[in-house]
Amino acid sequence: MAFAINSAMKCTKFTSVLVRQCSGGTLLSGVTKNAATMASSADLRPTAPAGGQNGLSKSVFISQSRDIFTNLALEDWMYKNFDFTDHHIMLLWRNDPCVVIGRHQNPWVETDTELLDRKNVKMARRNSGGGTVYHDPGNLNITFFSPKSRYNRKQNLEILANTLEKQWNLRPEINKKEDLIIDEKYKISGTASKLGRPNAYHHCTLLVNVEKADLKSSLLKNEKLMIKTNATSSVPAPTINLSEIHSGITMDALIAAVGWQYMKTDDLTNEDKGWGQVQKQKGFQMINPSEEWFPGIEKIRDEFASWEWRYGKTPKFEVSRSYDIGWGLMDISMTVESGVIQEVYLVCPDGVSWGGMTGKIPVATSVINQRFSQESFILVERALKTHKFHMSEPSNRRHAAHG
Amino acid sequence: MVAVSLCRVIFPRFYSLSCRTVQRSSAGRRSISTGSPNFAAASQIGRVYTDKHEWVEVSAEDSTVATVGISHYAQEALGDVVFAQLPSVGAEIKQHDEVGALESVKAASELYSPVSGKVVQVNTEVENSPGLINKACYTQGWLFKILLSNSDELKSLMDEDAYKKFVSSSDH
Repeated sequence: MAFAINSAMKCTKFTSVLVRQCSGGTLLSGVTKNAATMASSADLRPTAPAGGQNGLSKSVFISQSRDIFTNLALEDWMYKNFDFTDHHIMLLWRNDPCVVIGRHQNPWVETDTELLDRKNVKMARRNSGGGTVYHDPGNLNITFFSPKSRYNRKQNLEILANTLEKQWNLRPEINKKEDLIIDEKYKISGTASKLGRPNAYHHCTLLVNVEKADLKSSLLKNEKLMIKTNATSSVPAPTINLSEIHSGITMDALIAAVGWQYMKTDDLTNEDKGWGQVQKQKGFQMINPSEEWFPGIEKIRDEFASWEWRYGKTPKFEVSRSYDIGWGLMDISMTVESGVIQEVYLVCPDGVSWGGMTGKIPVATSVINQRFSQESFILVERALKTHKFHMSEPSNRRHAAHG
Repeated sequence: MVAVSLCRVIFPRFYSLSCRTVQRSSAGRRSISTGSPNFAAASQIGRVYTDKHEWVEVSAEDSTVATVGISHYAQEALGDVVFAQLPSVGAEIKQHDEVGALESVKAASELYSPVSGKVVQVNTEVENSPGLINKACYTQGWLFKILLSNSDELKSLMDEDAYKKFVSSSDH
């Protein structure tokens, strides 16, 4: 993805812009008061602490957008433009219903793309690795930004686990995949990262009160498609909402608790230094991911929402569907590169011919060089009607074909 | 190559893996090789490294073409690579450009080109079996070959000894 943004802004200057605007933030009444207070105190100290061992400060940004493409663009903008050397940031964001696949995944393997369209669930591709997740406003996304040299996924997850333990007496564990697990089995959080230079981020989900029926149905696959690919595959896991475990865990309460715990933690030593540590931080800030605040963000959003990024970035694959033609199963098979159909083959069962040909037959159809979709198969089916299927060796093959 | 900050990896183990190294002395004459003497004679510059943990090796037959991969340190820090996104053949790339990504368990790490030039070949075996990067990062696990447009760029990279020191000295 070629994001060209020239206007890198200095964080300190940026903070004062945020402070003016965030005092009117109304996303979370419980937090807004704190955000305003913290932001004002940051405003009184407009110069960021100078570098050095003790110069690291932290902020909690809360995005006011619920649009997945906008939030991915905000995350990318910060990753590409911020200087996190003396200022670590935790970005909290939520989305309207959407399915988010990993950078190197195949949307047709992970989801039923037509079903998602019908249900009005957006399909997005993120820049980090890993598997497919479902988001709705009951899911909190947390991005930890730092310089690449201080990237520490385990430490971030420990902040979340500590929050849940201190506030609600839960004991989540960090498993091998660095998911957060409750009761040895149920996943409450999935993790992925993007590492570059000079910056890196680790982001994760936290299920608070997601519509579980929608989560399940949005991750259903189209069983008719058989896909051969090297794309990264997802690892399904049973999930549980935090609100099911403890009724006191609401979205607002969680955002506040996670934010404060982040600010109490000294990232250089990974110690919880309590409220004294919070004095060093810049506090909560409501973020409006608009062009005015983040010049160039609209363009990035458009790229995230584009077909070229969402589907075109799919690793090359071969997809086929089987049809029962009475004499056995016939396959239509397509090779797809950059989301575009390269070749179409018909694979006849033994003893069956089509247009005088047998076995694997290349088909010239109008779908070649077109964007692949589930509908491509219907167009090929139509094209196949130009010729009829015949039994080429009826006497000795018939029983095999029927078997 | 990136993704190596939090891993406290033990280095001495991979010293033995890099056996065909030619060290350039300041006089440019003396070459020290711990591997095949023929190879050392054929190549002016052995495998050299970037601070982002990619390696470059100029072909013994054709000094205008170089092979690029990631170091042992990088592959160990990344863990099992599950997907390799490599540049396209024919792409013109500049030194330090982001040219692809390697995905290991849940982290997508950007891949930067250590040199400028035109991509002439990519390792399709690695695309099909990314685990080769872990198994043999200096041999079968190479990533792409590039027709160098400025071989002077190689001079700014680290030789084996300098890279060893770099890896063991600092926190990346």
